[in-house]
Amino acid sequence: MDGSLALEIPQIFPEIALSVFGIAILLLDTFLPKSKRHAATGIALAAIALTAVFTLGLVGEDGTFFSGMIVVDGFSIFLRITFLVVGALTVLASSSYATRENLAVGEFQALVLFAIVGMNLMAASNELIMIFLGLETLSIASYILLGIKRSDAKSNEAALKYFLLGSFSSAFMLYGIALAYGATRTTNLEAIGREIAAGSAGMTLIYVAVGLLFVGFGFKVAVVPFHVWTPDVYEGAPTPISAFMSVGPKAAGFAVLVRVLMVAFPAAYAKWLGLVWLSAVLTMFVGNCVALVQSNIKRMLAYSSIAHAGYILVAVATRNQEGVAALLFYTLTYALMNIGAFTIVSLVSRQGDRKTYLDDYAGLGFKQPGLAAALSIFLLSLAGIPLTAGFAGKFFIFRAALESKFVWLAIIGVLNSAISVYYYLRVIVVMYMKEAPDDWSPVAMSSSAIAVIALSVLGILQFGIFPDMLISLARSSVIGYR
Amino acid sequence: MEIAVFLFLSGIAIVAAANILVQRHPIYSALSLIVTFVALAGIYIQMHAEFIAVMQIVVYTGAIMVLFIFVIMLLNAGAEQKVPDKVHVVKYFGLPLASLLIFEAGLTASRTFDGEGIPVESASINLSGNTEMIGRALYTQYALPFEVTSVLLLVAIVGAIVMAKKEL
Amino acid sequence: MPHSILTLITFLPAGGAALLLFWPRTGASAIRNIAMGVSLLTLLLSLPLFPAFDTSNPGMQFEQSAAWIPSLGIRYHVGIDGISLFLVLLTTVLTPVAILSSWKSIQTKVREYHLFMLLLETGMIGVFVALDFFLFYVFWEVMLVPMYFLIGVWGGQRRIYAAVKFFLYTMVGSVLMLLAIIALYLLNGATTFDFPAILESLHQGNLILSPGQQHWLFLAFFFAFAIKVPLFPLHTWLPDAHVEAPTAGSVVLAGVLLKMGTYGIVRFCLPLFPEATREFTPFISLLAVVGIIYGALVAMVQTDIKKLVAYSSVSHLGFVVLGIFALNEQGLHGAMYQMLNHGISTGALFLLVGMLYDRRHTRLIDEFGGLADPLPVFSAIFMIVALSSIGLPMLNGFVGEFLILLGAFDADRTYAVIAASGVILSAVYMLWVYQRVVFGQVTNPRNRRLLDLDFREKLVLLPLVVLIFWMGIYSESFLRKMDGSVSQVLQHFRSSAVVMKH
Repeated sequence: MDGSLALEIPQIFPEIALSVFGIAILLLDTFLPKSKRHAATGIALAAIALTAVFTLGLVGEDGTFFSGMIVVDGFSIFLRITFLVVGALTVLASSSYATRENLAVGEFQALVLFAIVGMNLMAASNELIMIFLGLETLSIASYILLGIKRSDAKSNEAALKYFLLGSFSSAFMLYGIALAYGATRTTNLEAIGREIAAGSAGMTLIYVAVGLLFVGFGFKVAVVPFHVWTPDVYEGAPTPISAFMSVGPKAAGFAVLVRVLMVAFPAAYAKWLGLVWLSAVLTMFVGNCVALVQSNIKRMLAYSSIAHAGYILVAVATRNQEGVAALLFYTLTYALMNIGAFTIVSLVSRQGDRKTYLDDYAGLGFKQPGLAAALSIFLLSLAGIPLTAGFAGKFFIFRAALESKFVWLAIIGVLNSAISVYYYLRVIVVMYMKEAPDDWSPVAMSSSAIAVIALSVLGILQFGIFPDMLISLARSSVIGYR
Repeated sequence: MEIAVFLFLSGIAIVAAANILVQRHPIYSALSLIVTFVALAGIYIQMHAEFIAVMQIVVYTGAIMVLFIFVIMLLNAGAEQKVPDKVHVVKYFGLPLASLLIFEAGLTASRTFDGEGIPVESASINLSGNTEMIGRALYTQYALPFEVTSVLLLVAIVGAIVMAKKEL
Repeated sequence: MPHSILTLITFLPAGGAALLLFWPRTGASAIRNIAMGVSLLTLLLSLPLFPAFDTSNPGMQFEQSAAWIPSLGIRYHVGIDGISLFLVLLTTVLTPVAILSSWKSIQTKVREYHLFMLLLETGMIGVFVALDFFLFYVFWEVMLVPMYFLIGVWGGQRRIYAAVKFFLYTMVGSVLMLLAIIALYLLNGATTFDFPAILESLHQGNLILSPGQQHWLFLAFFFAFAIKVPLFPLHTWLPDAHVEAPTAGSVVLAGVLLKMGTYGIVRFCLPLFPEATREFTPFISLLAVVGIIYGALVAMVQTDIKKLVAYSSVSHLGFVVLGIFALNEQGLHGAMYQMLNHGISTGALFLLVGMLYDRRHTRLIDEFGGLADPLPVFSAIFMIVALSSIGLPMLNGFVGEFLILLGAFDADRTYAVIAASGVILSAVYMLWVYQRVVFGQVTNPRNRRLLDLDFREKLVLLPLVVLIFWMGIYSESFLRKMDGSVSQVLQHFRSSAVVMKH
């Protein structure tokens, strides 16, 4: 047994590499003079690149490792890559942001790496305990990142709010894990599934456990009615972190939710399906309808991210492979558009994150056409206009929903996406159809931000016009997935 | 008898936990937390988890809570100001709903177990001390979670420094 | 003719737009020339389609098909038949006209304006040539974006309201259509989005839609198309969009965009859901007739010429829908023909209104009067176009309306009679507005000094006037090309309906 553990270490090379580099950045940061500390960004990017190599090296693996603690399969590899993309974009986007806002670059980038470790572990977990540990690693890193602007009251509020509600949701989740353990005497997902299938577990307890787990994950991914923290936190957070929060933890949360529900509790999940359905509908409606009246763009994007959680929940509700593949496609492409949009918001907000209102975008369309065009593409993609990845993602989700005979869910979904068009267009209206104020000051660009925006635009168009490669990959990733 | 002891200990734990929230002075809250921990340790002993019980006392009560109280005294934190509740929803709905949840959870739990708990494999406990079993589990089956926990703690430490350090 | 001709025609304007994207924004006249050149080149490329089109073949021609998203069975499949041929040509004719018409009136953000114009052309042609449902939907939606910007940036006072309303109305309808498309794909075994393939399996009996499925799928498709047409009572976006859009936008909107709705009905609703079509025919015909009368009555009381023309569109498109749902040869022919007529006549009307607006910066009827004196050429062309819109024999409008009424009379006499009174009403509002604007003494002294049409403006109107006469006098050259495809639609329709009954 001891020997086999060592042999299994390559399976977690990605996480090891990220952790080692995270620690290296922290160490280096202490010894480097202040002027050279931005090297952390380069190291973090190198770490992510190396991790990507390790992760791709795992392609083809299929099995559980470390006494069934983690599972390496197409699903987890796809997600790990998604998280690395999210991480790379976040690192890039925050490097200039951290300089502008005078934040500690080293700690910032190291924490982003640790957050990726947490997400990776969640995606690869085959164990409720491992899931919890991954989630906590991610959460603690997020708490700090949210509050990293220590002198900013809003940032503090965001961190505190997320911390309190995050701990609260963790408690729900632990309660659910404890009950699941109580009913099945195991925390291994597959073993739980076997126990339940064998009929040796107390079903009432399982139902409650699944309910509690759903509540716990519901907080993390911000589905109604567990969404109330989202707008405040996204608004107050440093903008690149708002971007990160809206895509990374959300993708990880959904991925784990799907795995837990479909591997461990398929029968109990069927019982809860009505509530998942209701939650999806409410999430879409609340997110979209409240977003209609927002004047702060960060809050608007926060509500939009709630609405998108609703669409993803539709994919979760379908319970078929097509739906899971759509979820994988959607989370990756959603990450591109949302990080892109938030990056532009962060640029436009100028120093101190002051200009985050809709009116601050007046005239941007003709003052800085490139920037405005990119933001328009992100918004149109969020709205689901064809030829963008956002449309392809929604297309796959609604296709899966119809395939599972969720006709009403699909209808409500598409109507919601029509509602959402209104508030995304509002930004475009302000950018192109209102005149710039007289005291217009140009938006300062940085090469790293331009890189983020360019990569996101390219990704959105690539996956929007030719989604075949990515969706085929996503589909093959979920083959054999129970 | 066993049930009676369990009910007694858990009762203390719950009352003390509630007291943490009710008290306005942080010192009283901290002391109540210690009571909760001790009561929990008692429950662990009942479950033949002596090692965990001892760790609970030594680490939480002995080390962490002492630090807590130390910090509170250092900061000279006084009783908190009573802020009038703006949101009555919490008052009128929160408590009843929370009680309802606890009641439901208790009900389902009692129904499921039907008076019978999961049998503890006491044979193995008697075979070797459970400290050894914990050690064995931690370094074999749970080796990975054990290591991940260290990363988790590292992140937490980094976070504490980032939040608290004067100049970064 | 190379087999990728349609692809070339479709994407040439987009290529022009891409060129403009990297063109320095300072060279306004160069930008106009590029846009004009690209749209003229597109027109030149599309014109040979007309003679090359094989009249004896009712099916798809100039087809091109390539895998696009193979894992979902989505193909890039384009082709045209007698129904779409003329709509493509209409688009390629109207776009250069529209661009030329805005030569002087668009002076701000010239590069973006032409960029969106060219993108719009790609979108419009794409809708008419797409034979894959997914491809069709993509063009259908994408085309909204440039139109939205054209109205919203270069429009009038309430342009933002109009632009957003336009976008949202269309969006709501089309998302439901998207679901219907996906449902159709899944019912057909989830193998292909190809329209001819799905139609084929429907005819082969491989795909059998239950009456309930037909019912809902038809409604989902029809709702999207009816908004676009726009069929009463879904028409409220149209007056706003028309009034606020810049002249070229109105021309394209009335000329081409509205036809997408009626085109969709003929192309998809009729062949795919024959039973449901029969089921809803009385109801839809009623709405069409209400639209005819309502549009005409509201047009009559307008004080703004542009709004009047906009409401007349509601009335005219009512005719088209009535013709389609007569479900016989004459009706469908008339509807197809009237689609072209409306595109040309109403396009020309909007151009004329735009020319007036350029001169006086108002469109209120009261501001004008006696324009025949200072603007003789304008008044003459206005006369021709107004008469074409009314449906005077020898002009194009007559042929279409006559065929539609003939078909409608066959299908339902009551509706035909009421619709015929709509023709009279249209004569009333059109002649009345003409009389108030053109005849009599010059009431407003500011109108006395107005200059008549210059060379560019005449050049803009010339092709349309030529078409008005040509289509009115020798309609055979157009009808013959449509004939095969129209008959085939009806034949499919009838045979499917028979199959259903068994």
